[in-house]
Amino acid sequence: MWTTKTFLTKTKRGNILKIVREHYLRDDLLCGSAACNVCPHKDDEYVLDPKPESICALFDYPHYLVLDTNVVLHQIDVLEEDALTNVIILQTVLEEVKHQNTAIFQRILDVIGNKKRKFYSFVNEHHKDTYVERNPGEKQNDRNDRAIRKAASWYETHLSINNVKGQHPKIVLITDDEKNRKMAQEEGITCCSVKDYVENVNGFVGLVDKLSKNVIPESCSKDALYPAHLTPAEIHSGIRNGKLHQGTFHASRDNFLEGTATVNGYEKSILLQGHIGINRAVDGDLVAIEVFPEEEWRKPSDIVLEDKADDPGDLLEEESVLLNAVKPADNKNEITPTGKVVGIIRRKWRQYCGILLPSKFPGATRHLFTPAEKRIPRVRIETRQSDMLASQRILVALDSWPRNSRYPLGHFVRALGPIGDKDAENEVILLEHDVPHARFSEAVLACLPPNDWTIPPEEIKKRVDLRSICICSVDPPGCTDIDDALHARPTATAGVYEVGVHIADVTHFVRPATALDKEAASRSTTVYLVDKRIDMVPDLLSSNLCSLRGGEERLAFSCVWEIDENANILSTKFHKSVIKSAAAMTYEEAQIAIDDSSRNDEIARSLRTLNKLAKKLKKKRLDNGALLLASPEIRFQVDSETHEPLEVQAKKIMDTNSMVEEFMLLANVSVAQRLAEDFPQCALLRRHPSPPPANFEHFLLAARQQGFEIDVSTNKSFSKSLDEAVIPGRPYFNILLRIMATRCMMQAVYFSSGNHTQEEYYHYGLACPIYTHFTSPIRRYADVLVHRLLAASIGADVTHAELLDVRYAAALCDNLNYRHRQAQYAGRASVALNTHILFKYRVEIESAVVLAVKRNALQVLIPKYGLEGPLYLPSDMFTYNEENHMQICGDVTLKTFDELTVRLSLDSTNLQHRKLVFQLVKPFVPGFSYVPEEQKEKKPEQMEVDKEQENLKKRKDTAQSKGSKKKSKKK
Amino acid sequence: MPATDLLSSQGLRLDGRRPNELRRIRCRLGVFTQPDGSAYLEQGNTKVLAAVYGPHQASKSKLSTEGVVVNCQYSMATFSTGERKNRPRGDRKSQEMSMHLRQALTAAIKTELYPRSQIDIYVEVLQADGGAYCACVNAATLALTEAGVPLRAYVCASSASMAAAGAGSAGPEPLLDVGHVEEAAGGVVLTVAALPTTGHIALLEMSHRLHMDYFDIVLSRAMQGCRDIEVILDRAVRDHLAEGWTKQDVMTI
Amino acid sequence: MAGLLLSPTEKNFILQGVQDDFRSDGRSNIDYRPMELETDVVSHASGSARLRLANTDILVGVKTEIDTPNPDKPGLGKLEFFVDCSANATPEFEGRGGEQLANSISNMMQRAYHSSQAFDLKQLCIFEGKQCWKLYIDILILECGGNLCDAVSLAVKAALFNTRIPFVKAALMDGGNIDLQLSDDPYDSKLLNVGSAPLLVTLCKIGDKCVVDPSAEEESCSVISLVVGTTGNSKFYCSQEEAKKLPNVESKCSTIGMNGAGSVAPKTLKDAIQQGLEAAKSLDKALGQALLRERQENISFKKHSYGFLK
Repeated sequence: MWTTKTFLTKTKRGNILKIVREHYLRDDLLCGSAACNVCPHKDDEYVLDPKPESICALFDYPHYLVLDTNVVLHQIDVLEEDALTNVIILQTVLEEVKHQNTAIFQRILDVIGNKKRKFYSFVNEHHKDTYVERNPGEKQNDRNDRAIRKAASWYETHLSINNVKGQHPKIVLITDDEKNRKMAQEEGITCCSVKDYVENVNGFVGLVDKLSKNVIPESCSKDALYPAHLTPAEIHSGIRNGKLHQGTFHASRDNFLEGTATVNGYEKSILLQGHIGINRAVDGDLVAIEVFPEEEWRKPSDIVLEDKADDPGDLLEEESVLLNAVKPADNKNEITPTGKVVGIIRRKWRQYCGILLPSKFPGATRHLFTPAEKRIPRVRIETRQSDMLASQRILVALDSWPRNSRYPLGHFVRALGPIGDKDAENEVILLEHDVPHARFSEAVLACLPPNDWTIPPEEIKKRVDLRSICICSVDPPGCTDIDDALHARPTATAGVYEVGVHIADVTHFVRPATALDKEAASRSTTVYLVDKRIDMVPDLLSSNLCSLRGGEERLAFSCVWEIDENANILSTKFHKSVIKSAAAMTYEEAQIAIDDSSRNDEIARSLRTLNKLAKKLKKKRLDNGALLLASPEIRFQVDSETHEPLEVQAKKIMDTNSMVEEFMLLANVSVAQRLAEDFPQCALLRRHPSPPPANFEHFLLAARQQGFEIDVSTNKSFSKSLDEAVIPGRPYFNILLRIMATRCMMQAVYFSSGNHTQEEYYHYGLACPIYTHFTSPIRRYADVLVHRLLAASIGADVTHAELLDVRYAAALCDNLNYRHRQAQYAGRASVALNTHILFKYRVEIESAVVLAVKRNALQVLIPKYGLEGPLYLPSDMFTYNEENHMQICGDVTLKTFDELTVRLSLDSTNLQHRKLVFQLVKPFVPGFSYVPEEQKEKKPEQMEVDKEQENLKKRKDTAQSKGSKKKSKKK
Repeated sequence: MPATDLLSSQGLRLDGRRPNELRRIRCRLGVFTQPDGSAYLEQGNTKVLAAVYGPHQASKSKLSTEGVVVNCQYSMATFSTGERKNRPRGDRKSQEMSMHLRQALTAAIKTELYPRSQIDIYVEVLQADGGAYCACVNAATLALTEAGVPLRAYVCASSASMAAAGAGSAGPEPLLDVGHVEEAAGGVVLTVAALPTTGHIALLEMSHRLHMDYFDIVLSRAMQGCRDIEVILDRAVRDHLAEGWTKQDVMTI
Repeated sequence: MAGLLLSPTEKNFILQGVQDDFRSDGRSNIDYRPMELETDVVSHASGSARLRLANTDILVGVKTEIDTPNPDKPGLGKLEFFVDCSANATPEFEGRGGEQLANSISNMMQRAYHSSQAFDLKQLCIFEGKQCWKLYIDILILECGGNLCDAVSLAVKAALFNTRIPFVKAALMDGGNIDLQLSDDPYDSKLLNVGSAPLLVTLCKIGDKCVVDPSAEEESCSVISLVVGTTGNSKFYCSQEEAKKLPNVESKCSTIGMNGAGSVAPKTLKDAIQQGLEAAKSLDKALGQALLRERQENISFKKHSYGFLK
């Protein structure tokens, strides 16, 4: 059967076209039901049970469910729960879902793909008996509803054919649309609302909690607190004629009544203030904004305001606090445009982690939920399990935000674990940073070689055999995913060395387009939390078969150079190889081997050569203008059993660190050059754009105050002036300067060579014209791709279609960059979490430096721990000198780079947002600075002190018994 | 480059076909009276007319003593495309199409039988919805048959594309007989004109890039399409002959 | 048509017959040969029609485009005729061979439609002075069996009758731009008022008399022919109830042209025009009936399109 669909579209040039598409109607589509006697099913094609057991009290006979689009869109959490089975998902519904929300589309596909769930997707749009044509004057939605009803009644009659009357499963249509229900009833279709159905389901506690409270937000005009949003059509025409603007809403982290939106055509982002100004926009939403006339423009309030109300009911509190704080600014430069949200173009809601606020009424079902992310408002949810959930971290989804509700409505998704529990907290970090961390699926694990895999002899024949060469690896202590190893030896020519970098050959195991490859590509990177590692590839590969362990034969991808004494590269070659690492050393061990002049074994000689060459390479690089940057890195000593952090210290950097780094850089650059030559369109490279001058403003001012002019015009001059900015007697000053310089930099990103011009390949930080990542394929997917490209380039492997697909590469780079960034943030969040755990029981007084001066605070850094945070200054005591970025109180002046003494403690009043509190000790400001002699720290929580002391003691004992070098510091 | 989103999770294409199915083909021989042979063919929404004049004496400039000169003209009605075309022929694309037509049809015609002669083959695309070239070759074959020009075999053309593995769909899969929507999705389009009875390929043309890994499966899918089309054309010819016998020829006898 | 050979006696036979208003194929002087007409044959054109008159085969497609009106006629839309002589008709048309004939026909059509009484261009206005519809009437001549002009004019009128123009909402934006909003309902379109659209009648002078719709043989007996364009009557193109409400409008002559080497006496010319008007009127009536019947059939059941597959 054949028919056509006709519709009109508007072209880009403004013309209106009549489009006619073919539409084939088929008679070979199966209904998927085991109760069917008509369709020619094969045995594995039955999805729906012949006699499904009813779990709903309203319908005590076997039945299948047919859902309408909105049910899938809004109740996906209910559908994902392992409760409802024998559900028919119509193609009409799938297509509408796909059109409206790709994330939910993916989720429903996953549910359909899960055989146990018995969800059948029926292609009703192409079935000859269920296709309906749009009638003249009929709306698209009405037509789709009619198609759904048609399919439902078709199923009913289809199943009754050749079946004993009353024996076959019935069809129940689930829809929340009252009009649709009425029409369905008239047509003789049994139907029901989601709420009625789910509330009468037996045997699945908690299913009701997952019901989305979806109300049409603009319909609740009674007792409305918020102005109505404009309709999509109004927004569209408003944006078209320039009266409205489109932008992404960013809520302020500090002030829940303030947010901004970046909008085209305005240099500064638009300031949005107050409940009405923000009008139910949630961080990340795409909103339509009306910009106020210029005379109403003002400064951001610059104050911290938290939503403190404990469920005041549905009213908006006075916003006078905020409005009073806003003074019209006298300085023209500080004024930002203001405006208000008038409509939502697209919600970007995801699921949020957080905790329940304790309810005033025991047994109540309505609760307030506070998200961990400060930018997200509190959420109203309904649950009957509040007693159980009160002490848990939970995940909640947002459903809607009606006009008459102060908070958005949402529903409970699942519990993550007890508050404060290490696993639950890590789960929160991973979820909030969108890190895929589920266990590897069966399909992925099936791609792995057996546990006792050894290198087959024929594989060795294909490769260069380097097992006889003395190769060693140098890594941080405790590293189990060793992906690089090195060697160096003299050649026949005097003064020329052969240096090799050997990288784990991950691509031998991760073959393209396998489930393993897809999973790794989606994860993109291994994520390191302080006490946990979320692997990109399964453990068998990352810690065993691909890890270049000492004394074991491993497959490697080698990059071998001939280098002369002055570190000039004479030749480069790449090949796949077999190696046997002589030793897996730590940086410290390697350093000792180099320094210990009594050792003269092969390893020590090799390391010394490497070290010597590395220093020359580094010098060359620095002469080229590479920047030596610094960031405070923290290392925790973690209790091996409880995984509680015991001690924190800044990471030590040794010569050997930079030795390894130097050769990795060299390998990366060599590979990058090769790839760019062979694959001008699709080489995966990494670039680091030079930072715009505006990034440096504050940095330069701070340096000037210390008497240094930093030249940032090129990376070379920048590097040089950084080297010269040294204050004798303050060794940390230069490091600090570099830390601050690092923060002015742009993010380095992966890209596909076809998408940028040659000039844009430049890596600013390393000062090299081309760069890529080759050396860590175990933990970065970018390196996996680079390995594949390089293998193809040297003829060791064949290319495959996706590898050379430019569009695919661009999409992949986006994902790599996104995951990379999220992994960094997750790592930092984990450090913060552990810092908080560490300082839960201690208070310290430490020296600190000022990193930046803010209006109401100093940003301080504790060099010893690499910790940083704000030190708040009361505005009634300190005056802020805006021009010079100084805080002044009496004769005490505080400015950037000043050295202070501060007291560190943890503020746990807010369970979700525990934070380190910094208090000023020195210089002494009367009435503000903390006086250590009084032993004040015991006062605030007198009752818990004993317990704390006990804990502290216990911990100390375990720590000492483990022989860790813990500095016990008693205050 | 395989295009994404061309196959649904149920294995159906955007218009409801399975990957190995042709569009609906309907055709008729002998549409006009003046030409020596004419045919109308529609493949889905692509509709073409073909007319054949000849063999007749070749014009001086084209004359060849070796065999018959095959003269082709590809023309598109100005209303045949979504956005109106300004001229029906003479642009580079139609000239290229004319050449490709000639290439494919010359391979099928027994040219050696008519030295110093010429055969004119004119195709007019009334509606273009993807695969116009294929429809033209198929229609021209019918028109040549009706004109009684001796052919080595039916020459049939078909296109094939590649659908990438999308959300929930199983693996990359070659698609037969590419429609306009699928063409516009930006994937590869491989066009093959072949003589299915002998298995020879008369013309192969490909747009966009395709990895060698996929080439064989895409080509074999297109070849399968040619074989399927041959069956349809053969039936049309037989029906036409039967019909002609009953209607016209009986009366003249 | 070229290549047709007639003996003097055959010519004489035809000439005598015409004088007696009894032609060799049995028709009177103002009778047409039977025609086949089908509309909506090109599915992605806004309107289309195929007309077959003896061996003449015409396919017309109407496409719509958005355009800006001429500054001196801000309230009017635009019409453009384009004729393409397909080489399918005869190898002579190959390449640019048919261009001259095509131009003469399109000029003739353009002239016939030029009058506001023939076709009201106001119905193509979207926003006065800013935007209007431009209709491209593309005529494809697939086979030539004589009497092209008449066949073309009939096919064009049928195609226009079949044309649906999408409803658009136009709003004036800041800065003088027009924002068009398109309904997502494909049924949301309007029909054109084409009742008064002109028909062309070719009168072939044979002897002292003129005949319409000459066969190829008759054409070769004639040295001159006259093309008369007359406006149609809207009454033939709507239901009877509506027709009663419409005022009576006399058909008017919108264009006259002459082809051929001979000359005509004024008296013959006058008679000829009169004869043309009469022929046009009956032709118009027959066309209207056929089109209305087809539309009726379309509403009552989904139409099966024949196209060239008949």
